[in-house]
Amino acid sequence: MLHVHFILRQISRSRKQAAIFVLGAALAIVTLVGVNGFATSIHRALLKDARTLHGADIIIRSNHEFSRALSNALARLAQTGAVAGARIWEFYSVVRTEDDQASLLAHLKVVEPGYPFFGKVKLRSRRDFARVLIGGQIVVAPEVLSRLRLKLGDRLHVGGARLTIADVVLQEPDRPTNFFSLGPRIFIAAADLQRLDLVHKGSRVRYIHLLKVDNPRHLNRLAHELEAAAEPGVERVTTFKTAESRLKRFFDNFLFFLSLIGIFTLLLAGIGIQSALNAFLREKEQTIAIMKTVGATGSFFTRHYVVVLVALGLSGTIIGLLGGYLLQVIMGLLLGDFLPENVKLIITGPEILRSLGLGVVVVAMFSFLPLYRLRDLKPISIFRKELVPPPKGLVYYLIAAALFLFFTGLVFWQVRAIRPGLYFVLGVTLLILVTAVLAEFVLRLLKRLRLPSLVLRQALKGLFRPRNATRSILIALTASLAAIFSIYLLECNLDAAFIKSYPPDAPNLFFLDIQPSQHLEFTQALGMDAEYYPIVQGKILAVKGERIDARRERQRRGDNLGRTFYLTYRNHLLQDEVIVQGQQLFRPDWDERQVSVMDTVAEIKDMGIGDRITFKIQGIALEVRIASIRTRTRESLRPFFYFVFPEDTLREAPQTIFTAVRVATPAIPALQTTITKKFPNISVIDVTATIATFARILKRLSRVIRFFTLFSIVAGVLIILSSISATRWARIREAVYYKILGAKAAFVKKVFALENLFLGATSAVLALLLSQTGSWLICRSVFHIPYRPFVYASLLLVLATVLLVLLVGLITSLAILRGKPDSFLREQTQE
Amino acid sequence: MNKPAARFAVTVLVLMALFPAGCQQDAGPEIEDHRPLDDGTIVAIGDSLTEGYEVAPEEAYPAELERKLRRQGYSYRVINAGISGETSSGVLSRIQWTLKLKPDIVILVTGANDGLRGIDPQLTATNIDAIVRQLKARNITVIVGGMQMVRNLGKDYTGAFARIYPAVAQKRGVILIPFFLAGVAGNPQLNQADGIHPTAEGYRVIVANIFPYVVEALKEHQAKIKKN
Amino acid sequence: MNMIEARQMTKTYTIGDRQICVLDKVSLAVPAGEFLVVKGSSGSGKTTLLSLLSGLDKPTAGRVFLEDQDITDTKEDDLAPLRNGLIGFVFQSFHLVPSLTALENVMFPAELAHDPHAREKAHHLLKRVGLQGRADNFPHQLSGGEKQRAAMCRALINHPKIIFADEPTGNLDSANGRAVLELLLEFHRERQTTLVLVTHNEEIAKVADRMVVLLDGRMDHGG
Repeated sequence: MLHVHFILRQISRSRKQAAIFVLGAALAIVTLVGVNGFATSIHRALLKDARTLHGADIIIRSNHEFSRALSNALARLAQTGAVAGARIWEFYSVVRTEDDQASLLAHLKVVEPGYPFFGKVKLRSRRDFARVLIGGQIVVAPEVLSRLRLKLGDRLHVGGARLTIADVVLQEPDRPTNFFSLGPRIFIAAADLQRLDLVHKGSRVRYIHLLKVDNPRHLNRLAHELEAAAEPGVERVTTFKTAESRLKRFFDNFLFFLSLIGIFTLLLAGIGIQSALNAFLREKEQTIAIMKTVGATGSFFTRHYVVVLVALGLSGTIIGLLGGYLLQVIMGLLLGDFLPENVKLIITGPEILRSLGLGVVVVAMFSFLPLYRLRDLKPISIFRKELVPPPKGLVYYLIAAALFLFFTGLVFWQVRAIRPGLYFVLGVTLLILVTAVLAEFVLRLLKRLRLPSLVLRQALKGLFRPRNATRSILIALTASLAAIFSIYLLECNLDAAFIKSYPPDAPNLFFLDIQPSQHLEFTQALGMDAEYYPIVQGKILAVKGERIDARRERQRRGDNLGRTFYLTYRNHLLQDEVIVQGQQLFRPDWDERQVSVMDTVAEIKDMGIGDRITFKIQGIALEVRIASIRTRTRESLRPFFYFVFPEDTLREAPQTIFTAVRVATPAIPALQTTITKKFPNISVIDVTATIATFARILKRLSRVIRFFTLFSIVAGVLIILSSISATRWARIREAVYYKILGAKAAFVKKVFALENLFLGATSAVLALLLSQTGSWLICRSVFHIPYRPFVYASLLLVLATVLLVLLVGLITSLAILRGKPDSFLREQTQE
Repeated sequence: MNKPAARFAVTVLVLMALFPAGCQQDAGPEIEDHRPLDDGTIVAIGDSLTEGYEVAPEEAYPAELERKLRRQGYSYRVINAGISGETSSGVLSRIQWTLKLKPDIVILVTGANDGLRGIDPQLTATNIDAIVRQLKARNITVIVGGMQMVRNLGKDYTGAFARIYPAVAQKRGVILIPFFLAGVAGNPQLNQADGIHPTAEGYRVIVANIFPYVVEALKEHQAKIKKN
Repeated sequence: MNMIEARQMTKTYTIGDRQICVLDKVSLAVPAGEFLVVKGSSGSGKTTLLSLLSGLDKPTAGRVFLEDQDITDTKEDDLAPLRNGLIGFVFQSFHLVPSLTALENVMFPAELAHDPHAREKAHHLLKRVGLQGRADNFPHQLSGGEKQRAAMCRALINHPKIIFADEPTGNLDSANGRAVLELLLEFHRERQTTLVLVTHNEEIAKVADRMVVLLDGRMDHGG
């Protein structure tokens, strides 16, 4: 039986605590809903982006005409309507103007109607691609016009056909998947394929089949089916999810980051709810004790308080949901331009149900344990305000285990994958355990301190109040700060690794195959500063006297020493390189030949300074000694070399020279024409369009990431604030006593400030340690990107945290400092 | 391990060398040891077709050729001087370096990368001519491996390209293999998945194809020795 | 000289929309060294009277003087030295600082006053009240009587001229209560402090120099 009046009274009697609890729960839910809602929409948007990048769900590639088995499988699927397909033939050809005066190596893409299934081919005329690309007409890249001096409507010899240039392509959705191209793009309709007379035995053609899947859920099954039919090693079946590309890795990392934020938010929300709950229950202890003295059974108030708390939790959840919705509406208005266009800021129905259920269950689970522990309590121990030794029986551990399992389940739900989920749970558990151990350690250390000043002593003693929550506050604060710091550090690192590797001055024009004899002339013709990279091909014969067995090396996962390496020579470090071992690139005190090695390759065979490597360069063996080990400070589009030799060692070896520069788009055609005319052997590769696509997507993602980071940081800070203020009642009493005994406001202020300083600084420093370690681990082992500690930003984080905690502490104690002690005294007495 | 930038750089460089170098080449001891066998040294100059992209070093054509020569009783060493991705301009640039190997006979198979990059056949012709001239000047017996371009480049281009080799051979009076990849090009069984690079089996076919021309060169070389 | 003086002191509280008058125009003068007992039934305003006299709260109307100095509008910070040195408090519910041990609680006011001998003085006082063995215990480890004795020591350590004691025996059994009261009186006599004691204890009331009775917030002069 439930006693409704009792429940209502319980809520209305301690309105303040109830309100804090409801707000805590609400805030947690707002954050959870906000982050999850966003994560869902952005996940969807990302997948859409990934799909656009490939123009299809399933992509099949081969360098030969498709095998009969695969063709049959494709036909079968097309017949059932499970997929829609479009074939593509990609190859180079030398196209000529109608008057045969000029020719150009072009990258042809012959496409069937339907291409692209996702994304759009943007034309200069803004017309629909499918309507422009019909038999007899072609769509060309702007360079085709500029380099051949043609205009729209002119005709071009392509193989055996004469085709009319109908439009200019500005953007090709699946461009980044074929990053480099030796010639500008020409789109041709499949209807003209026969007339071209270019695809034969003895032609080099990339056969591509794009598929759009009718039901996205069948994607993997269909892909597997096709893979089974495909000839292994020749016909490659990939989906937009599995296709490897630089962006794909970024997408993966980004999605992982999102779920990381989700988990951290869950953690923060849990901490928020728990501290609000603790404050509420502490307030209720007296009531419970009194009820027991008048004969209430343990199960009576367990039952009733669970209802009270669930009612409160439910209202918190509902407020949270409303808040989350409002937040999204407001953010949608504020950030309309800022967010990617296809991210919708609407919470879905399942999301609401999910959050609602989550809120209630979390509150119920959290409240059951403390209530269960209270039921076995002797009332007198509460009256006496004694330290309550918590009775921990089997049930206690069972419930604790259930709580743990529940959160593990939540994590799996959030991550939706077993292994990362497991890592998360282990990681978070470890985080809390390590935090607890560190907190304990610091507290013990502090307890031993003998301080000269009264203020300092009082502040320190405040941390060790009996029945004080210092330990749990410290753990909660450290854990949540560690989560926030980690999010921030990871964001910085993702940004540095991916976004910043596409700076506005990233090179967009690559010149390959410059001969040493052309170097000087080329430099003059180029007319701008550029780093020239001589390239010498070579293999490794032996490392540290041990022969490299190429066959065995090949078995190695990742990079191996059995392959051909591109060696270079120079006597200086590049901008983005630093030496990690050794004093300088080369040792002037060594008479031997030397080499500088990149750290990533040195790791393969544990090479160090002074070790010897034998190279074979064009049949000539060359033994060199490692003089330094380098690393790259950031990932970027700039070329790098594993092995750098002193100039005099390799200058005479067979080599070509390579350079990459940034050229403004309008100046490209002229430069390209000049160079190819003057140095016909030099290939010029223009990656402007590709880089533009990359940069556009990455810029959008970086905004989203930044926004997310900010959002979760703000929410986290609010949760921390609410949990700090939830514990303020314990401190008020002390402030009043100090005042009665004749302490001035300044004294009380100082004691509190110092106490908060201890708390804030300790937890911030611990959190920084934890988050640096955690972020480093995640960057290296999950993201596979170099890690930067962002020292100054980290210090700033600590400083900001300490200031914030100080400020909050001060604000919550202002009323006591200004007011007369008596009113507070009465509150205490009438407990 | 899977560093994106590393992959990127590899891509750049791979592109530079249109045919990326194989992953499992070993330096056979015969390459380290440059002392000629009794009869003389053959240097195979060329690109990935010579170097042996994605096949074991002993499966590439120079090694296969040396074995076949030995079986037939010729004690010639065949040195693999192939550089993946190299164009005819590259060969011309390094010819002095290659001459350090002191070849008696050179098999020159270059130009494929020129064609794949759409480089004007005129330039390729000039380069090959200059290379042959320099070799001849050193009294080296030269075999020029003829090459044909993939048909997707268009008849005009492939026609002009195919004419380069007979023209140079005729002009300089050197031995010509009409088409180095005869019977191999375009056959999926003899080529790797990329459709361009021969398999070990493909190289055996190639060696069988070119063997008569090599024997012709050996005779020319031995005649030269006798003259001296 | 009057140590304490109240003139027409009124205190009203607002609870909801109701105004409750707890003290109504109370005037009172306590000469130095006097032992005054305040009596009255529960809710008659005794605790409020004590709070106002000692400056822990501010009257709604009227004025309060300590040592002829008007403290009615004195700022909190300027009251601090008075609370530290002039006044000692003993409360019904002890109000010991929970984070400090018995010794530290007693020392604290002296430490605030920068007394270099705080520790010795505190030890001395604790010994005097029989708590030398409990010096390092925290309040929650002490019994009610022990707590009150510690609180008394704390009130006395800076040799205040006035001691306000608000039903100091209210939470104690009679034996403990008696002991505490005797201690208070001992100190009063020994140091000639002014003692304002709120109590129901008739025996003690008889020993007092004077007794005032509060009835519904007014001084009952008839008693």
